[in-house]
Amino acid sequence: MITLIVIALALGAIGLLFVAVRARKKRATQTVRPIDLKAFRTLMDREDEFFLKQRLPRSQFARLKRQRIAVTMRYVGRIASNASLVMGLGEAARTSSDLEVARTAAQILELASQLRLQCLLALGKLSLEFAVPSLQLTPAVLAPEYQKLRENVAHLGKLQAQNAAPLPVAI
Amino acid sequence: MDLKSLSQYLWVVGIGFQAILGIVLLCRKAWKTFPLFVSYFTVGLASSVFIYAFRQHKAFYFYSYWLMEALGVALGFAVVYEVFSNLFSAHTALRRLATVVFKCVLALLLCIGLIVLIKHSPLDARGVASAVVVVEEVARIIEVGMLMCLFVLSSAFGLHWRQQIFGIAVGLGIFIAVELIAVTVWGMTGKAAHDALNVVRVLGFNTSLLIWISYLLAPERAASTVELPEQSQLEQWNQAVMELIRQ
Repeated sequence: MITLIVIALALGAIGLLFVAVRARKKRATQTVRPIDLKAFRTLMDREDEFFLKQRLPRSQFARLKRQRIAVTMRYVGRIASNASLVMGLGEAARTSSDLEVARTAAQILELASQLRLQCLLALGKLSLEFAVPSLQLTPAVLAPEYQKLRENVAHLGKLQAQNAAPLPVAI
Repeated sequence: MDLKSLSQYLWVVGIGFQAILGIVLLCRKAWKTFPLFVSYFTVGLASSVFIYAFRQHKAFYFYSYWLMEALGVALGFAVVYEVFSNLFSAHTALRRLATVVFKCVLALLLCIGLIVLIKHSPLDARGVASAVVVVEEVARIIEVGMLMCLFVLSSAFGLHWRQQIFGIAVGLGIFIAVELIAVTVWGMTGKAAHDALNVVRVLGFNTSLLIWISYLLAPERAASTVELPEQSQLEQWNQAVMELIRQ
């Protein structure tokens, strides 16, 4: 039994490496995707949810809430993906000879890292709510963090002429 | 060609690959950025040449082989640490959390290793060789587990692997995973199977060498150009969400 588990671990490791190589190739072609923060905030609005809870039968509400959570999770996934791409951008700019660019890049990197962690936490909370729709665990801190990241990236974009146009607009 | 000759042939091919990798590491001045990996490689190359030269002296071969294996395993852990440090060097916030997770995983792996050690009871009548194989199995379990943890963490945190460090991690991963399979099956099989396992081990090592050579030679990928998403996609998405909210 132990032998089988150990062999499964080793084969799993080889599979994981294969997935990592493919993911890295795929990532090279990834772009920043837009996020509608207004819609995202609306999805997280508890007053809306409370209203629906009062008006709808329990089963219908649970189904609707799961649908809302599924959409919210996609938003969070997009924010996480964008944060990851911004981390890559920050890493590249961190070594810039221009001190202000390097400092802003370091700030962005830190913020993007924190945002990525928030996304992980939010996805965990949303998964719990998906399993038990009566729970209320809103990842409310996510939207302001993302707004802050956008502002910082816009600032870096201004500092770096080559990145000025596309990135701040895209996220 | 029998399996024994095949493994010896592959061993010589491997020494050739190691020589190429040595040249690549020298040209790239890799000891500045990856000192532990370069040490790991140097010990690997020295042991390959040394063991191949003394393969006819049975007793000397046996002890030097296992000594080199132990050194290789220890330096393998050091390389995993080097990959970890390199990957999280720019992310202080994530590094703290990753260190905690890493320590927890290490504790769990040590427990698993202990269970394997007890279950296999290496210090029985089967001799020193079996005991050494079981100890190596435990060490490889920990090594593979730590490297897997590293890949899972980097994926969860959305970290960017640089070309060279990614190649080092993947090459090491392939090598230690194949080694783990080989040492696990070793104790349960006979001499005929050992010859086949030797071929698999050398093939695994040679594959890792090729991965290291290719990733160290390849230029760093340029950052992908960031493009604006299509406006229509965004509008469609918003529309769908708004409809959902108004239901």
